[in-house]
Amino acid sequence: MSVVGIPILDNLYPVTMDLWPVQAKEFNRVWPFYENLKQGRFTTTKCKDCGHVPFPPRVICPECYSENLEYIDLPTKGKVLIFSEEVKGVPLGYDSPLIHAVIDLGVAPCRRMITKIINCPAGALKRGDEVQMVVFPVPPTPIEKGKAGTIMAERVFFAFEPVKK
Amino acid sequence: MSRNAVILGGGQCKWGVREAHLVDMFQEAGKACLDDIPGLKPKDIDGLIVATSYAGRCCFQVNTAPVIAERLGLKPTSICTRCDTLCAGGSTGIILAKGLVESGNADIVMVAGGEKLYTPQKWEIFYSELASVDHDWEAVHGMGLPPPFFSLTAQDHMINYGSKKEDFAAVSVANYNYAATNPVAQMQKTLTLEEAMAAPSVVPPLTLYDCCPITDGAAACIITTDEIAKKFSNRPLVYLRGCAQVSLSSLSVNFPGEHLADWKHTRIAAEKAYKRAKVSASDIKVAQTHDCFTISEVIEVEELGFCKKGEGGDFCSSKQIEIGGKVPVNTDGGLLAVGHPFGATGIRQGVEIMKQLQNRARHQVKDADIGLTHNLSGANAEHTILIYGREPVK
Repeated sequence: MSVVGIPILDNLYPVTMDLWPVQAKEFNRVWPFYENLKQGRFTTTKCKDCGHVPFPPRVICPECYSENLEYIDLPTKGKVLIFSEEVKGVPLGYDSPLIHAVIDLGVAPCRRMITKIINCPAGALKRGDEVQMVVFPVPPTPIEKGKAGTIMAERVFFAFEPVKK
Repeated sequence: MSRNAVILGGGQCKWGVREAHLVDMFQEAGKACLDDIPGLKPKDIDGLIVATSYAGRCCFQVNTAPVIAERLGLKPTSICTRCDTLCAGGSTGIILAKGLVESGNADIVMVAGGEKLYTPQKWEIFYSELASVDHDWEAVHGMGLPPPFFSLTAQDHMINYGSKKEDFAAVSVANYNYAATNPVAQMQKTLTLEEAMAAPSVVPPLTLYDCCPITDGAAACIITTDEIAKKFSNRPLVYLRGCAQVSLSSLSVNFPGEHLADWKHTRIAAEKAYKRAKVSASDIKVAQTHDCFTISEVIEVEELGFCKKGEGGDFCSSKQIEIGGKVPVNTDGGLLAVGHPFGATGIRQGVEIMKQLQNRARHQVKDADIGLTHNLSGANAEHTILIYGREPVK
């Protein structure tokens, strides 16, 4: 399918218009985060030298600049501190209601994490509600692999949803 | 003999939904700037700093500075570069120009900022605004368009300090009324508290007049030294007394402060800028703060020290931000009403403070001798402050 006004972009993938991260290890050194996400694990890096745990994951420790890092699990349940609800004027690529929340996962560094809440109708969420991580597929990325041609790299992403009472 | 940076003059083109290309608006702004300084010619200018963030996305144009220099007929020999700190781009350019002219590495620098944000199909600018925050960790959640983030901020202010929707509305009323007679403003109409309170919802508690519009526009100013300025202008000199730019962290986790309405990085920037300028908050006679949302101005008047923390709502609704109040704020209409073409905003703010200190502003603050500009960038990622004065720092 051609792009209106730019027919030369017929069937091509413009990474500059991609909402989702390019997650494949050919392009991203924090690819284990996304591989862990596919297993339902919410992870980040921990410094094996100084013990510092940042989020999002890194390739160096931002405290001591060590490269000696390991992936550790973060909680996948938390509670809503405050939230905003956008019903009209939601940008292309997102569904209404677009709900953003500051949530507390109970451990540093995720005591006040801004995230998206899905699977929740408008007007239903309350402050203090319990939410859990949910992983969903997003469109795969085409990656050129030389003579092997173009492969489609599978991708997932995460949001949080209300825990059913 | 030490070299002291001054703002010699400046101007902006008409801001709004413009039937114009980015480079057209830069030319209009360059002309407005030089029209403000009758003695100065393009050949006198030896430096150009361009502030634009969205040229790359909305105009498919990077390495912007040489293109703008060519259109403006400039042949810079000291500096020709671009800076991108989104909403603070213009102020960043002024800070860089100050360093260059004071160190003797440039003499007369034009700082020009602008954005062309209205694309032929509107979806693209909303979509492209997602680029203004951390793409993989924030924009991915749809956080790039700022109303949701400032809705959360406003709620945290209401919960922690008891501010009210009426306080936010008072900011939009003041700033719209300042802009009503400003011919280059995007919004040129008066606004009543009743109209502001009855406006349609954007993201609760924010309604239409709580949010600045999307704006096409450009602005330009000239930064030089006091000794050089005297050759080109008889107006009172306006010195760049001090500045600071602070970034503490991104927003997805670990945002600075106790909650979203506690702007630690603004406080640090203010403290540092006041110290460098050898002034205190009580010396500021007029300010241009970053009113991208009404809640931003409410928090900024607190963190800049114009009132106590938590009392920004009362400060604004008791008209302390209006002419005759304690610190008149955004006297040309601010981002809310003049508009916000990101890279141009800091220059517009600097030009308004210059006019206030030269006693030639549209809404003149009596005896203004010290003024301040402030920007926040993106979703509260960075704070930038400049302090202007009628005298150099001694």
